[in-house]
Amino acid sequence: MAERVTKLAVFTIADFKEEERWLREKAREGLRFVRMIVPCFYVFERVEPEDVIYRLDFRDAQEGADYERMLEDFGWESCGNCMGWGYWRRSAAETAGDGEELFSDDESRLGMVKRVLQTRLLPLMTIFLCCVLPSLVRAINGELYGASRFFLCFFGLMAALYIYLFVHCGGKLLRMRRELEKKD
Amino acid sequence: MDDRIAKIYVPMTETGFYILYCLITPQHGYGIARQVEWMTNGEVTIGAGTMYGTLSKMEKDGLIEFDHEEEKRRLYRITPLGREVLERELKRIERLYLNSRGEKVNG
Repeated sequence: MAERVTKLAVFTIADFKEEERWLREKAREGLRFVRMIVPCFYVFERVEPEDVIYRLDFRDAQEGADYERMLEDFGWESCGNCMGWGYWRRSAAETAGDGEELFSDDESRLGMVKRVLQTRLLPLMTIFLCCVLPSLVRAINGELYGASRFFLCFFGLMAALYIYLFVHCGGKLLRMRRELEKKD
Repeated sequence: MDDRIAKIYVPMTETGFYILYCLITPQHGYGIARQVEWMTNGEVTIGAGTMYGTLSKMEKDGLIEFDHEEEKRRLYRITPLGREVLERELKRIERLYLNSRGEKVNG
């Protein structure tokens, strides 16, 4: 069995293009992507360096067997799913026909960005507004578990992390959406 | 054809047009992609994700319907509504072509 290597890398829901490029770089270094462990660990196996194109697709609902079948027909190999993201790859040498992309028009590219916005960013925002923010306010007011400093720090950090994610992901995804819509 | 369908599909995207046109004969996604590649000599290519998404959307909107399944591949065919959309689109393309040649459309 090939040697397994685990790498740590953080890609948010808006960084899928960067993630695809990173996986390709790893393939060139001789690391073949095996699976992902939530939230940010990537398991590889050591192989000969190869030029492989990786593409991520985001599907909110579980797609049927025909979905996988179609992508395979087009020459894509599935390398697993993680949190709604499907990881697909194909050898860079075999990109005849439909080329290197899963999506060939802006309408479908826009569709994926919208799916991510609606099914990932909106729930995240809901959790923030309904759970994290009220808890932080209560912690600040000393109403939570006897005004523990721990909870204040915990919810303060959570809130900071959430705000960072909103600004980063929201900004980036909305920018992508705007650019794709502009071209229509 | 109701307004919603007309708004989404008229005018059509190139991808949408080719997919709908190809489904005059029942086919699966990969078959459509190969036919389009052949017809256009490789000038129009449709990605797998785009194909899947467009087929799902057209099926939901009633332009195409499920025909049968072969080895987990879903084959679709055009519906009367799909033909109506296609006809309308063909008329539009014909007009564009005639006008571009300096000709007037005859009513």
